[in-house]
Parts: sequence; C-alpha cells; structure tokens
Amino acid sequence: MMIMKRISEWFEVRLGYKELAEKHLTGYLLPRNINAWYSLGSVLLVIFGIQVLTGILLLIYYVPDADKAFRSVTAIMNDVPYGWLIRMCHAVGSNMMVAVLLLHMLSTLFMGSYKSPRELNWLTGFILFNLVLGISLSGYLLPWSQLSFWATTVATNSAGAIPIIGDYLMQFLRGGKLVGPPTLGRFFAAHVALLPLAIAGLIGAHLFLLERIGVSAPPFGLKETKNSWQGDQFRHEDHPGGIPFFPDYLLQDATSIMIYLAVFFSVVFFSPNIFFPVTAFMPADPFRTPAHIKPEWYFLANYQTLKIFPSELLGLMVQGAVMTFLALLPFIDRGKERHPLKRPIFLACFVGGIIIYLGMTIWGHYS
Amino acid sequence: MRLHALAGRKILFAVTLLLAVFAYPHSSPAQMETVCLQCHEPQPGKGGAPVKKWRESIHAENGISCHDCHGGDPKDSANAMSPARGFLGVPKESAIPAFCGRCHVGISEDYLKSAHGRALGKGGPSCVTCHDAHATKKVTLDIINEKLCSRCHSYDRAAEIKEAMRQTETLITGIDRSLQEYKGQGVDTDAREKGLFALRNRYHRLFHEVDTAKVKHESSQIQAELQKIQQSLDKVNEQRHRRKIAGLFVIGASLLAALLVHLLRKTV
Amino acid sequence: MQSSSRRTFLGICLGGLAAAGAATATWPVIRYLSPRSVEETGGKVSFPESDVPADGAKFFDFRGTTGVVVRTKSGQLVAFSAICTHLGCIVQWEKDKQDFLCPCHAGRYSPDGAVIAGPPPKPLPRLPFSVTNGLITVG
Repeated sequence: MMIMKRISEWFEVRLGYKELAEKHLTGYLLPRNINAWYSLGSVLLVIFGIQVLTGILLLIYYVPDADKAFRSVTAIMNDVPYGWLIRMCHAVGSNMMVAVLLLHMLSTLFMGSYKSPRELNWLTGFILFNLVLGISLSGYLLPWSQLSFWATTVATNSAGAIPIIGDYLMQFLRGGKLVGPPTLGRFFAAHVALLPLAIAGLIGAHLFLLERIGVSAPPFGLKETKNSWQGDQFRHEDHPGGIPFFPDYLLQDATSIMIYLAVFFSVVFFSPNIFFPVTAFMPADPFRTPAHIKPEWYFLANYQTLKIFPSELLGLMVQGAVMTFLALLPFIDRGKERHPLKRPIFLACFVGGIIIYLGMTIWGHYS
Repeated sequence: MRLHALAGRKILFAVTLLLAVFAYPHSSPAQMETVCLQCHEPQPGKGGAPVKKWRESIHAENGISCHDCHGGDPKDSANAMSPARGFLGVPKESAIPAFCGRCHVGISEDYLKSAHGRALGKGGPSCVTCHDAHATKKVTLDIINEKLCSRCHSYDRAAEIKEAMRQTETLITGIDRSLQEYKGQGVDTDAREKGLFALRNRYHRLFHEVDTAKVKHESSQIQAELQKIQQSLDKVNEQRHRRKIAGLFVIGASLLAALLVHLLRKTV
Repeated sequence: MQSSSRRTFLGICLGGLAAAGAATATWPVIRYLSPRSVEETGGKVSFPESDVPADGAKFFDFRGTTGVVVRTKSGQLVAFSAICTHLGCIVQWEKDKQDFLCPCHAGRYSPDGAVIAGPPPKPLPRLPFSVTNGLITVG
C-alpha cells in the first residue's frame, strides 16, 4: 500500500490530478432534476467506441477490392473464429447508433435544451447526425453484396436530380457513371478514415461545448422554466447544490449503457438478420437488379418522400428544406420558454413531426 | 424503386431488352403460327391430334415446336414437308431414342444401356412408350406407376426402384431447401451446393436404370453422401444454438450489471 | 454504516462482473486475431521433382514458413527449413560452394544443415519429405 501511495503522490505533485478530478468529476455538479435521457450521450460514446474497435478488427480480414470484398466478408462470417460476432456487432451497432442518436436528439428537442446559448451544441450534434448517416451509407457498400450495390446505386442516384451539377455530382460520388469498383475505393476511404476522423473531431467539439457552456437543466419540476440567459456576456451555467457527476451521474450513465448493451446483444444474438435480407448474402451483380431493393430503415422516410413528389427535385428540395430548418432551429426558435407543455405550437410540431416521420418510414417499408 | 436516373434506366433498359430477346420464342405469335401449326391444328383426327397434345407439353412451354424435332421448313407451306428442307416425319420405333437423343444426349445413353434400351425392337419400350410423343410432361417420380409399368411387366420391381428414388429425391429437395435458407442467412454454402449438384446429377443418371439392385446400391451411396451434407448443416444449427445460449448469458450479465449499478447509485 | 457495507458488497459484485465481462470480451478478440493453426493452413506441400533445378534449390511456403529443397552436386535431394537459426533471415543456396549462406550475417551451413561458419547457434531443421512418381511431398 505504501508503494501505491508513493506512486500516486509522485503523479499528484507533477500533474495535480486531484484538483482536476475535483473540478471535472466530484465537483462537477449537475442539475438536481437531471433525468435518464441525459445519459444517452454517454451511451452514444460507448457505441462509437464499439464501432471503432470492431471496425479496426474487421479491417484485418476485409479486402477493399470489388473482386474480393464479398468473399472476404463471407470468410469473416464463416471461417474466422468469432468473425461473425465482430461483424454482427459492427452492423447491428451502426443501426443502433442511428436509433440512439435519434432518441438523443428528440429528448434535446423535447426539453428545449437546444435553445440559446446552446445553438452550437445543437449544430455540432446535427452535423454529427448527418456524418453518422454518411458513415452508415458508405459502410453499407463495403460488403459488395447485391443489397450493398443496389442500395448505393439508388442512394447516389438521387443526387442526380439536382439541377445543372446533379449529373456531375452523382458521377463524382460514384467515381464513374455507375456504381463500380471506383465507388468502393472512395466509399472505403470515407468509411474507415475520413468520416471516423470527422466524427471523432466533432464529438470533441460537442463535448467541449457541453463542458464550457454547462449542462442545461431539464424544464420539469421547476417553478421557473424560462431561459434566464440574457445574451449579453459569457456565462457558464452552474448548478449549485446539484448532484455530482462522479459517482452519482456516472452510475446513471453506466446503468443506461448496460441496458443498452442488453438490447444490443439481444439483437446480435437472437435476431441479427433483421438488418440482413437475403440480398445481403448474394455477391453484387451489376447486370441484375434484385426485386424489392429498399434502403436501410433510417432512409425509408427520405426514400418515400422522394417517391410521393411528382418530381425528384421537388422531393429533394423538401428534404433539404426540412433538414436546414432542423439544423437552424435554435436560431429560428428564439422563445424563452422551455417547458414543452407551455409551448403548444412547438409540442404540436414535435408530435406531428414524429408521426409524419414514422408514417413515411412505415409507408416506405410497405410500398 | 426510384432507379430512375439515366444510368439506372439504361441498365433496366438493357436488362429488359435481353429478357425480351430470350423470352422471344415463348411468346412470339410468329413462332406459334408456324405453317405446320396452321395446317395441322384444324385437321380432324390423326392430323390435328398431335398439335393439341403438344400445346399442353413441356416442349411447347419451352418454345420447342414441331420443326425442332421433325425438321422441315416452318415458314414455307409449299415445302414445309420436303425432305430437301430436312423434313424427317415420324421416326421408326428403333430410331426413336436417336431422334429424342439429339437433345437429350445423356438420357438416351443411359436408356440404351438399360434393360429397357437393350430390349428396343424386341418388345421393349422406347422413349414415347412412357413419356408420350407429343404430350410430353416434366417428369416426376410418378411416371413410375402401376398402370404404366404393368402394361409390360409386373410392378413389383418398379415399385422398389421408385421407393429408393423417392427417398433420395426427398433428401435432395429437403437439403436444397435448407441450403437456400442458410445461404440467405449468411452461411457459406458454396462447397455444399457444389456437392449437392454433383449428387443430384448422379441421381438423375439413375432415372433410366432398371436394374433394381444397382439402383438400390447407387441410391444408398448417394443417400449416404447426402446425409453428410445434412450433418454439416446440423452442425451449423448446433453452433447457432450454442451461440444463443452464450447470448443469453451475455444479455443476462448486462441486465444484472444494470441492476447492480442502479442499486449502487441508490447507496450514494 | 449499513449503507456503506451494502455499497462495498455491490462494488465487489460489480467488480467481479466487470472482470468476467472483460474476459468474455477479450476471448473472442484473441481467437479472432490468432493465426490459423497448421491443420487449417494444410499440412503437406507437393510439387513435381522437375521444379528443383539440377544443382539448384526450390523455395516454397511450408506451414506458414519457408522451406527449401536442394539438389546437391551428387544428385541427392535434401529439404530444410530455410529460416536461418540466427535471426530468421532466409538462407540462400550457393551452387558453386555447395552450401547455404545467410545473407544477413554470413552464417554458413553445410548441405546437411550443420553450421560451418558465422553466428547461427543451431543447424537448419530438416524437413521430412518423400518422392513418389516424380512428385516431391514435404511434411
């Protein structure tokens, strides 16, 4: 024990880590009425970590070559010990990441936490959401199955509807007129290098903003739910008398993470094929489009939107408008009130938006 | 599916075109209305009967028309049945296996080697005895039946052969179905599919064998090989079962950890 | 006091669970990364005898390492692991001198695999092989 104490002392006098721990862990106080929804950010960090780890492991056996990719993925699933587990964790994890991200954004919306001075938190989060969609899309192509190939054809195709530059943009994305080996090269680079780096960087920015501006208090169980920041000077939002991050809220984070893992492993072990239709196990064939090709569930709403408008361009414009509106929401919605029940218009839009999104998703699934 | 930008359309167009080209013989009215059919179909009795039978046959379904077997010129009614245009007419009984064997090469070989084939011209059956000349259907095992076989001999041995074949066929179709199912779930079935393909061919080569002992012997060998494929699939199943049990432990442990952490939080 | 003993108990349980979880997570990863065993990579290597030039050597993959078959001046065939026992470089067959030379630190081995000169601590391991119908089978 003596030796441990000496070592910790050695570090303490050099780094002053006790002060650091005091400031960021035990002395980092969170609002007393904080709820479980606030732990979704930590869950997402864990998911991202699992994706990075399993992704690196998959890179060991995956071959990014149009002639060999499918074979190498089949080998990972069948021949490499526990390859199936690593791959399933990666594939199921990507779907889970999108789902949890949606929940994280919905809770932020519902509690009005995006409001000033946290516009940048929202914006970085929104960009992160788009990057995660991008990394999911690019990863989808890598197994080079019929599903990968044609889903990517369809997804990159909609870029062609943009006037003037559309055709060139589509070819630029694909690296050619059609999806083919050049597409695999660029999607691979984006999936394993560019996008993970961008996501990691933005996660850093997102966390920095969280720490710098301070955690928002949920609007529930408070007398005063109006935004008190005047906008005249920088203010770190403190929560005197709040609950410490360590150990209290970290344990809440851990509880949420464990519940998430239970759900995650239920899918991995018991119904991994909900994300894998038969076409996912057929090698890509550029001369034969399989019937019933559908994008992943999180693109079904976009897919259906494109279908119901008479022109693809109109559908794209509507989606672009909705996404821009959401991205800039904190700049548009400048009201001080944060409690959802005291914001009937917001609440109506919130519920209506979810219903429309779900409706379009289900419609897209069955259409 | 909105595959509808230029590129996607081009592919679809090409595919449709290809399909149309291949589908041509099936659906083209020009093909159906060869001069053979134009003359023979309205004829009463012997002249028109083959056409009616042919319409229902596997040959018609696959676009194989009169002239594909009987020769002649299907476009020129004056010379349609001219030997100069390759018209063959009706083959003599002894020439029937060669007649059919122009397309069904392996099968005619198997038949000629069998007791049926060796008895050709000595009261033995030719192709059309069992398969019919024009109402030719896709064959199932039911072609071995008491009515047909007992026209010439007792049904006993044929029934034995049929039973051995039926077992093999049930195994093959069963394994084929599970292979497709496993394949759709990501199992690498390539080697097993190749094995099954080879065994199915071996099984098909038994179709015209009438030596009971040989059929039984060969069938049991094929079945043993099929069992091996089946066993390897059973192993996959077992493995999946083990994975699920391991999964239960992992999920249970996660939930237990969630509970413990939750309780721990209550103590601080 | 009761709360604190309860906390200790829960802490120990969680610690145990975490250790078990870490072990469970590590095992598949180690298995995933482990090199395939010899049985999986195939035990035997065969090639025609004519592949070995007169007075020369043929190198080949053998169970994940490198082997060499040499036809000596006397026409006799010998098979060795080609990995130098010093630092693992691949030895070369010197036709004129009729010995193996390791280019890394000038270790020399006789056609029997014995060390003649240089730093190698051990002779080259012999590989069992047989010749049937002009086909050399190593392993």
